[in-house]
Amino acid sequence: MNDPTMAVATPAETPAGSIYDIGYRRYEGPRLGRAHAVRSMFSYSLRSAYGIGRGTRAKIAPLLLLTLAAIPAIAILAALALLRQFPGGEAFEEELPIRYDTYFGTITTFLILFCAAQAPELFGRDQRHSLLALYFARALRRTDYALARIGGLVAALLIFLLVPQAILFLGRVLLSADVLDGVAGELPALAPLLGQAALAALLLGGLSMAVSAFTPRRAYAVAGIIALFIIPSIVAGVVVGLGSRDVGRWLVLLSPTSILDGTNAFLFDTPLGGSFEGIALGLPDVAYFAAAAVGIVGSIAISIRRLARLTA
Amino acid sequence: MALISIRSLTKRYGSSVTALDALTVDVEPGIVGLVGSNGAGKTTLLKILLGLLEPTSGEATVFDLDVRTHGTDIRQYVGYMPEHDCLPPDVTATDWVAHLALISGLPRTAARERTAEVLRHVGLYEERYRAIGGYSTGMKQRVKLAQALVHDPRLLFLDEPTNGLDPAGRDEMLELVRRTGTEFGMAVIVASHLLGEIERVCNHLLAIEAGQLLRSAPLGTFTEQTGTLSVEVEEGSQRLAERLAGAGLSVAVDGRAVLIAMDGTGPYDPVRDAVAELGLALVRIEPRRHRLEDLFRDAPAVPVAPVAGVGEPPS
Repeated sequence: MNDPTMAVATPAETPAGSIYDIGYRRYEGPRLGRAHAVRSMFSYSLRSAYGIGRGTRAKIAPLLLLTLAAIPAIAILAALALLRQFPGGEAFEEELPIRYDTYFGTITTFLILFCAAQAPELFGRDQRHSLLALYFARALRRTDYALARIGGLVAALLIFLLVPQAILFLGRVLLSADVLDGVAGELPALAPLLGQAALAALLLGGLSMAVSAFTPRRAYAVAGIIALFIIPSIVAGVVVGLGSRDVGRWLVLLSPTSILDGTNAFLFDTPLGGSFEGIALGLPDVAYFAAAAVGIVGSIAISIRRLARLTA
Repeated sequence: MALISIRSLTKRYGSSVTALDALTVDVEPGIVGLVGSNGAGKTTLLKILLGLLEPTSGEATVFDLDVRTHGTDIRQYVGYMPEHDCLPPDVTATDWVAHLALISGLPRTAARERTAEVLRHVGLYEERYRAIGGYSTGMKQRVKLAQALVHDPRLLFLDEPTNGLDPAGRDEMLELVRRTGTEFGMAVIVASHLLGEIERVCNHLLAIEAGQLLRSAPLGTFTEQTGTLSVEVEEGSQRLAERLAGAGLSVAVDGRAVLIAMDGTGPYDPVRDAVAELGLALVRIEPRRHRLEDLFRDAPAVPVAPVAGVGEPPS
């Protein structure tokens, strides 16, 4: 191909006082290929989801929402610490509304807002600024790109969900009389927590990425995601309210948050939220699980398909 | 084998638009100018070679690798500077180029080193720590070139690299392109519709029109064979053309000018006589400077023939 010596043949004598030009050097090191590209894309997406590596303005929304999501945990720990001072405080503890198993429900609104704010940053932004051509002209394939981006948001959501839980966990362990005993006491709560967080991150993350893959316009994507998460449950509620219980309870399966509640109840025996009572009773548990699986797999497939067709 | 080998490559968009029409050509290393008017198929050809677009039919290989099946392998060694804007506004040039170096497969440390080096090469210094959104068009074009160079490709595709630049910026960009091809030892393909620029940096030209190969030849042979004498008259260029054609010359009319194919000394005497006999007001007689443009004129004066041994005629 090319004579490699040409690269070295650069002007050696530069006049004194000017910037010394050491010439162009070839890169002879390793090229790590596709898997490395996918990993890099994933970690870049995760960092972008929290605005890291971008301007200050990009950090405001994700960090504000994360703080809001952590406030209930901090507040409840403060309350617990206070209650311990009084006799009978332990009994009160059991009645507290904010526990591991109810925490996800408490911060669902913040989670939805996080999805709506950050998913368009990961997919729509690349379309808006025509960055896809640069990505696809490299070691990355279109499917790799889609999966790495989705993975980045899912990981960001996992952090979003688990940071408050970690605060709660550490606080409770430290508040217990014996730390080792405390850890042992809190451990059984851990596995279901991780399971629920993974489920929520995959379902809500996958769906919001699927919506934002379809428009470079941020405003449309934000509105679309919020609509997708909120309107179906309202519709189901209205249909039930109009007296059509049979239709209404199946419509619940169109609402991502209801699917989450139902699947969690099925898999992890969590209590159903208030929005559920009277609507969904009688629907088979497996239906929720199936709806969650369809939602996750379907949304990821839609994103991949969309990315395969976008002109780069 | 050639660096790039293209065999009856065809790309249709839908059923009506044909961007590439059975294009067959070989490309050897060097600085190759890919010329053609807007819509001639330049960008489509580059995108197919990168594996960004799927060809409708035909074959193409880069480094002897099939673009359909070995796209990922090819792209690790190819740099691409698109024609359009492709930079995020809220990221610094350093961060953006380093990120793309990672996506190209470079390890983290190497990505950072190569980024610093390549940004220096394109002439971005302190600015590289500022967000790209505040850059001038010239600086943005440099970042676009830097991202194409960062993984030290063996082959570089530049799509209209001087787009949107002022004359000084164009000169600097063309100088960078020339250095990239000569000092850095990369094979470069520059797509452009501006012949005047392309002939300043290239040593080989590949002309396409309506998706078909017009010619592929070393730059020198283009200018030799397309020599034209332009005779501009106040009016009556049509009459002059007819008279000269009658005298056995190969002519074409371009507005007020009559273009005459030159062989050797130039047909000055017949032109003088014809103008005098017809009593026309002669404005000027001059050999055409940018004769490459004649490639894209429907002038009979321009022979459209492939040069033996370099390109093959479109089938």
